[in-house]
Amino acid sequence: MSYHLNPDEATWLKVRDAFAAALGLEDDEVEMDGKLIEDLGAESLDFLDIVYRLERAFDIKIPRGGIEGTAQEEAGQYEVDGILTEAGLAALRQLMPEVPAAEFVDGMRVTEVPEVFRVATFYNLVCHLLEQKANGDGATG
Amino acid sequence: MAPPAEHPPVATPRFCFVVHALSRVHRGIMGVPGARMGLIGQWNSGTGPEDVLTVCRFRLRGVADGVVVGVPMTPEDMLADQDRAVDRMQRAVSLAGPVSAVGLGSLCAVVGGRGDALAERLPMPVTNGGAATAWALLQNVRTVCAARGSAEVAIVGSRSPVGQAVMQWLVDDGIRVIVDHPRAARGHDVTVCRTAAAAAARAPVVVGAGPTGGTVPGDCLQPGSVVVDVAIPGTVTGPIDPSVRVLAGEAVSLPIGWEKGFWGQLYHVLSGYGPRQVFACLIEPLVLACSERSQPYSIGRRLTAEDVDAFGIAAKKRGFEPRLAQGWRAVRAEELARA
Repeated sequence: MSYHLNPDEATWLKVRDAFAAALGLEDDEVEMDGKLIEDLGAESLDFLDIVYRLERAFDIKIPRGGIEGTAQEEAGQYEVDGILTEAGLAALRQLMPEVPAAEFVDGMRVTEVPEVFRVATFYNLVCHLLEQKANGDGATG
Repeated sequence: MAPPAEHPPVATPRFCFVVHALSRVHRGIMGVPGARMGLIGQWNSGTGPEDVLTVCRFRLRGVADGVVVGVPMTPEDMLADQDRAVDRMQRAVSLAGPVSAVGLGSLCAVVGGRGDALAERLPMPVTNGGAATAWALLQNVRTVCAARGSAEVAIVGSRSPVGQAVMQWLVDDGIRVIVDHPRAARGHDVTVCRTAAAAAARAPVVVGAGPTGGTVPGDCLQPGSVVVDVAIPGTVTGPIDPSVRVLAGEAVSLPIGWEKGFWGQLYHVLSGYGPRQVFACLIEPLVLACSERSQPYSIGRRLTAEDVDAFGIAAKKRGFEPRLAQGWRAVRAEELARA
């Protein structure tokens, strides 16, 4: 899911608006490579707001638990006592190409995965779900 | 001589407060007043449109009447489908009859864009409790600072609307403020830390303003420090030094004339208020219903220091006062004086 490398303007503007509204930011403060927690100051409940605003903006349904749940579920096959294995780290690097590979470090905990989320992580998910919707694969509102 | 003109009776303002089930057990208890056997017996998930219910009624005698309505959905169910949760909240409000203000409790104030989606669907103002929470928190922090002789406060959850409003007021008070994220500063003269734990470690008074807690390990806190917290679950996690006090930041004492009836008594206990106080968010729609305002004090992320101030003035006029509390027990300022 590397849609962010060649972003669609209309989709990006809607994603940016959703982030700005949910986080109380100006539009120009939201950038594709911004880290949600470290750069934009998102807290746990902000993730709910972001997901809701994206769902409404695009008439899609982001799976329960949002992107965090999806990522952790993916990681869940590759973790021991909450710590990602090498296979788990590799899976996440593939799942989230917008995150520099070096950020998936040895000893990373599953609960730390949201800390690497970028705006692009959500942009890519939205594009993926829109593509599914266009193909009639469900995941729509 | 003409008889004195008869004035039509003035209708008492009515408000509504929307809550949800905090757990499966709580969901079962919510079913008791209406004998909803499916909820009590746990074979009904409480997610159906017909499952909304009236929880209890409150009255501030001569001031306002309130109805607490419930969406018997657990936190997991509320978050699984926010559109469904908003729909159920709208249906619950309709149970209350004519009301001039709607307030939102717990996750009801979070889902659907922090109340924005419900507000779009209803003709009356919907308010999410942010102003009341910020007002109570601010007054309680001022009390603690005065009691401890402290002019330094760390705000954890400083990016939240409540945290931002409290930061602005404390800076205006001349308090040295430490925040836990660079984006929280917003041009104010405050000290910036990069984590909640780092901020909390630097001040003798810590404000937990984030909506959810668990961000500050107890061993980060200075011995003898006081944490004034509105986060649920609490901001501090793990063992803490016995000299550290963790106080509820959003408790409000009840004025004379607060009538809660039988089910209201139960609600006071189950919601964690205790018999002599409520959390501030409950009184925000009451105060709004009594006011001339057509706009909520807080909705979405919109919360200004001016709205907090306006709410505080109106709340005091109705007899509500912030109350420092530890659990159900009031904490006197003298108890906090540094040994």
